Amino acid sequence: MIAPDTATLLEAMRSRGLIAADAPPPPIDAEHRPWFVSLMLGFAGWLAGIFLLVFIAALLDLHSRTAIFVAGVVLLGGAWALYHANRNAAFLGQLALALSIAGQIAIGWALLEDVGSGLAIAATLLAMQLAVLVVMPDKTARTIAALFAVIAWIYTVRFALRPDWEDLILFRGDIEAARFGIGSVAIGWLITWAPLIALSRWLTLREHVWMAHPLRVFARPALAGALLGLSIGGIATEPFTTLALGFDAMGVDMSWLALFPLLSIALAMWAAWCAFHVRNYGLSGFAAFASLLHLSRFYYLYGASLTWKSLIMLCLGAGLLGVGVLLQKRAASAGGAP
Amino acid sequence: MQSKPSRVELDQIAGHYSLDSAAVGTLLDLSAARPGPGASAQFLSWMLRIGGVLSLAAAVVFFVAANWSEIAVFGRFALLESILVACAAVAFLRPPPSTAGRAALFMAFIVTGALLALFGQTYQTGADVHELFVGWALLGLPLVCIAAWSVASAAWLLVLNTALMLFCGWHPTGGMLWVLLGARRFQPAEIVIGVAWLNLALWFAFETLRLAAVPEWVRRIAISCAFAFGTWAGITAIFESQARALVLPALAVAMIAVAFQTLRRRKDIYPLAVVMGSFIIISLVWFGKVSKFDGEGVFLLLALWLIGTSTVAGRVLTVTSRRWRQQGAA
Repeated sequence: MIAPDTATLLEAMRSRGLIAADAPPPPIDAEHRPWFVSLMLGFAGWLAGIFLLVFIAALLDLHSRTAIFVAGVVLLGGAWALYHANRNAAFLGQLALALSIAGQIAIGWALLEDVGSGLAIAATLLAMQLAVLVVMPDKTARTIAALFAVIAWIYTVRFALRPDWEDLILFRGDIEAARFGIGSVAIGWLITWAPLIALSRWLTLREHVWMAHPLRVFARPALAGALLGLSIGGIATEPFTTLALGFDAMGVDMSWLALFPLLSIALAMWAAWCAFHVRNYGLSGFAAFASLLHLSRFYYLYGASLTWKSLIMLCLGAGLLGVGVLLQKRAASAGGAP
Repeated sequence: MQSKPSRVELDQIAGHYSLDSAAVGTLLDLSAARPGPGASAQFLSWMLRIGGVLSLAAAVVFFVAANWSEIAVFGRFALLESILVACAAVAFLRPPPSTAGRAALFMAFIVTGALLALFGQTYQTGADVHELFVGWALLGLPLVCIAAWSVASAAWLLVLNTALMLFCGWHPTGGMLWVLLGARRFQPAEIVIGVAWLNLALWFAFETLRLAAVPEWVRRIAISCAFAFGTWAGITAIFESQARALVLPALAVAMIAVAFQTLRRRKDIYPLAVVMGSFIIISLVWFGKVSKFDGEGVFLLLALWLIGTSTVAGRVLTVTSRRWRQQGAA
């Protein structure tokens, strides 16, 4: 089916009686941006936020946690006010994004500077990102908040199930986590991803329902954040994330834990599938890129010999190819083939 | 006249007319914004087949990398070569554009790389890693051309750029290519900008020829690689004054040429976004170097510069993209 232009679409809706004949046309879209423009603006705003925070911290000579917290609240308030002041002014929007990022970092810094618990850090950041998602009236800010919320959720579950020592949070924690056994890892994986898979499934299939509701302003960024997280976040839920290049990773027992990168590929393929259903080609491409990244990590990660990995990929490839060809034949026999 | 509506516009329409869920469903169907059962099955089948072919290719690469000592040298080569022959046979019997032929040729391309790696591994040729990838790209090119498949074209571009990245990132201490382009004659940044121009030449060729095997998303990979190297060269030139005389003009010409071609074509705004992104990064680094981070005010200026340039770039790209979509629909 060839997609019609907006005017033709509105005419078709009018002819079906779904739009009143005398209803005024919708406002001209000024906000639609290709995905790569949003990516560029988001990254620039994020980096500018860090520069702004460094400037403010140095200028005001902020040392106490209270002062940093107050600065963060003021920055977030400023961002919110700028977003509300003029939603179509591009410069103000970008400045607001930078202020928002600076404010979030400042508040996070003030609240978590002396906290050693990974669970407390991740849970606090999750709460903060959900608050930003709800409060900030801007799609880019909400999408970034949704992505960060997903990342924070992943680490919240991980640290809740497998508490790490303070100095192991980011690096050797994954190797230490192997001590907890496959049960903990598998349960953690399910608790982390089952809600996000369900959420992305619901948001994808029930798009027509939430689009008819004012909550769509939250649902669209939430879907984008969930799909980005599903694409790349599997890394953080794997038992081994240290590449087999350092001596500290040597001597880890071979086990089924080595298969977890393949589950990360499955998550990324799921994200690609959902992105296809909402015609988001940027997200589909990102999910495909993430799949290849997970595959290359599977090559390097410990847990099984390369011969075993080769055999696994052979079986997996044959299986996927077989099911794919079968589906193609079924679609062709049903008359749906190209 | 408006163009094909985007998701943002559909959201606006739904909100503006306060449509209920049934009406939104009709809106999505009329605008072909969600796939029907046939399209879904087709996409799923395509995704599984691609995943299957890539998994089989990975299996071959993993196997060669395992350096399985229980198989004799002859056996290892015979195994890989028999896979190559099998791929050729499938491609001969089911030639492209059939899916089987394309997949077989793609596999043959991957196996070619594995065969070269096995050769280097077995006989310890002393070749640098980038030479392996250059050889792979050159020897695999005929297979990719015959396959005439976007996935194979993208894989070839990635192999070529891996070779170029390793070549540029390696110390100039020898190797076949460094003898030709040694650091005594060229500054490293000059070689990097040369590599950027090689990618640009490919992009211009693809833009001109409009091959079905090199669709828009593959051309985007080429232009992204070009300006990844271009940005690398530009940043290096900021810190190395000897390279500046050649690199910065060459980069400026590249940016102007790509902008001109993109504005002339009026199809895809992505290359212009890449040019602008590259300019923002290089100018930011230059700003930082000139200021020497002397005083806290520099951070404010950097933030404002970043906000200002990204705002202008975002605005120009958004407005231009919308205008092209409208004109395309008209």
